[in-house]
Amino acid sequence: MDNHVELDNVSKFYDAGRRLHALHEVSFGVGEGEFVSIVGPSGCGKSTLLKIIAGLDKPTSGQVKFRGGEICGPHSKISLVFQAFGLFPWRTVLQNVEYGLEMQRVPKGERQKLARDYLGLVGLAGYEQMYPKQLSGGMRQRVGIARALAVEPEVVLMDEAFSAIDEVTAEVLRDEVAEIHRQTGKTFVLVTHNLSEAIELADKVVVLSSRPAKVKKIMPISLDRPRDRTHALFVHMHRDILHMLKEELENTFIRHKLKGISELQSLHDMESAHANPNKPVAEKAEVTT
Amino acid sequence: MSVEKQKALTLSLTGGFFTGDRFGNYLWIFPLLLGFAVWEAVTRSGLVPSSRLPTFSSVLVVFFASIQSESFLLRIGHSFLNLICGLVLAFSVALPLAFAAGSRNKFDLTLTPIVMLFGALPDLSFLPLLVLWFGAGNAAAVIMASLAGFFPIYFTVRQGTKNIPRELFDVTTIFKADRFSTFTKMVLPAISPHLFSGLRLAYDFAWEIIIAIEIATRVAGIGNFIDGNVASGSLQNGFAAIFAIAIVAIVVDRAFFGSLESWTKKWA
Repeated sequence: MDNHVELDNVSKFYDAGRRLHALHEVSFGVGEGEFVSIVGPSGCGKSTLLKIIAGLDKPTSGQVKFRGGEICGPHSKISLVFQAFGLFPWRTVLQNVEYGLEMQRVPKGERQKLARDYLGLVGLAGYEQMYPKQLSGGMRQRVGIARALAVEPEVVLMDEAFSAIDEVTAEVLRDEVAEIHRQTGKTFVLVTHNLSEAIELADKVVVLSSRPAKVKKIMPISLDRPRDRTHALFVHMHRDILHMLKEELENTFIRHKLKGISELQSLHDMESAHANPNKPVAEKAEVTT
Repeated sequence: MSVEKQKALTLSLTGGFFTGDRFGNYLWIFPLLLGFAVWEAVTRSGLVPSSRLPTFSSVLVVFFASIQSESFLLRIGHSFLNLICGLVLAFSVALPLAFAAGSRNKFDLTLTPIVMLFGALPDLSFLPLLVLWFGAGNAAAVIMASLAGFFPIYFTVRQGTKNIPRELFDVTTIFKADRFSTFTKMVLPAISPHLFSGLRLAYDFAWEIIIAIEIATRVAGIGNFIDGNVASGSLQNGFAAIFAIAIVAIVVDRAFFGSLESWTKKWA
């Protein structure tokens, strides 16, 4: 099967004061109708990766391909669900869901009908005229999901979409997203730091390393749906991924520690050089830096 | 129109001031009436000579006569027109500058310190120069009003622009909004609560400056009318004019800004 979305050696550097290496040659494919979760240690650049797929950010090198063609910038068949919902507070629920269609200049009657349909799909029929501030976090994210689906995308990207919602609501919403995935057969890419969530929803989990993020492992998940978090295989996979991520965090920790030690060492060398000017230290200092 | 709709319209037009909604009831009328009564008593008892403070009742009589006089209304209209022209000018210059400063850091660092420098100066100190350049006329009044209105609009809109969450810009990008619709359908509504409070401040500041200019430079208008009448001893006319200004200022404040704010209250 050809990949629906494909990342080909995507690297990203930032120039914010100092050069920051966020992504290092990330490559993986997402099949059509597949649900892929991306996990990684915090701050590793997984949200950056999703932003690049969404066209909100550009890779420094490498390519993102959609149906085999390179994409640069947002694509009308790729939609995004935001972490903090990204709703316009001055628009009603219905108007928020209509927004994407409005930008595509879909006539008003038609886009209202579509928006109502998708609000029904996420269980918000009857809330059309409410403003976001009148809704709970879970309901706001339902609006966000309806808005993302209303433009009828082929690929739905989710950026930590369940992390700003209380756990019980998030659990219900995850089930609904799994159901939407099953019904519509759309391709989903979810970035998350919640490993159970990643395993529960995905056909495969992409594990990233700490910064600069590389693909550490791609784990196919072949458990039957709906998934049971207490299933032995589920628990086993959860432990495996957790272990990998811990390892990554420790690596980062050790790297930082080593850097600290080498800085201390060079400081010590400079001090002893002052105390004893005859002793050459230049060589040593070079080694430590 | 149904009763309910009419009620809602009155409420939005007046911001609840006259329907008693915002104040719960009309309690505010009582201290006002008490004040007028004290005023009446003070003059009638001879405590203050009527050449310094005419009785409230005589002011009221002159007030109702004045608002039927065309020349009186024209003077208020004159001042109000200068004020509105000044505000429109301030708005059209301040909005794009403030928007640019709020969205581009370099531009902000270049422009805002200068704006602050000018803002710290008392606006009226420019008045003699403006009169020298443009004459003691409407142009000077309009420019002064726009100067007074510029700063509150600039600073509120700049702050409002800075406060727009990054995510909302990402939403416009994802759904491929063009620059124009990003501005009209995202940035403008997002900054509107800030913009409205800036406009309201600008409106208050501009009224003060307009009256001050009319008194100082004798530009025809209601301020000049007050000055002339008070100087020639007809205090009733002066007070009547002050009443008229107060009513215009309050009605516009409530009707215009009240309805704008009741819109933002719905969602903000």
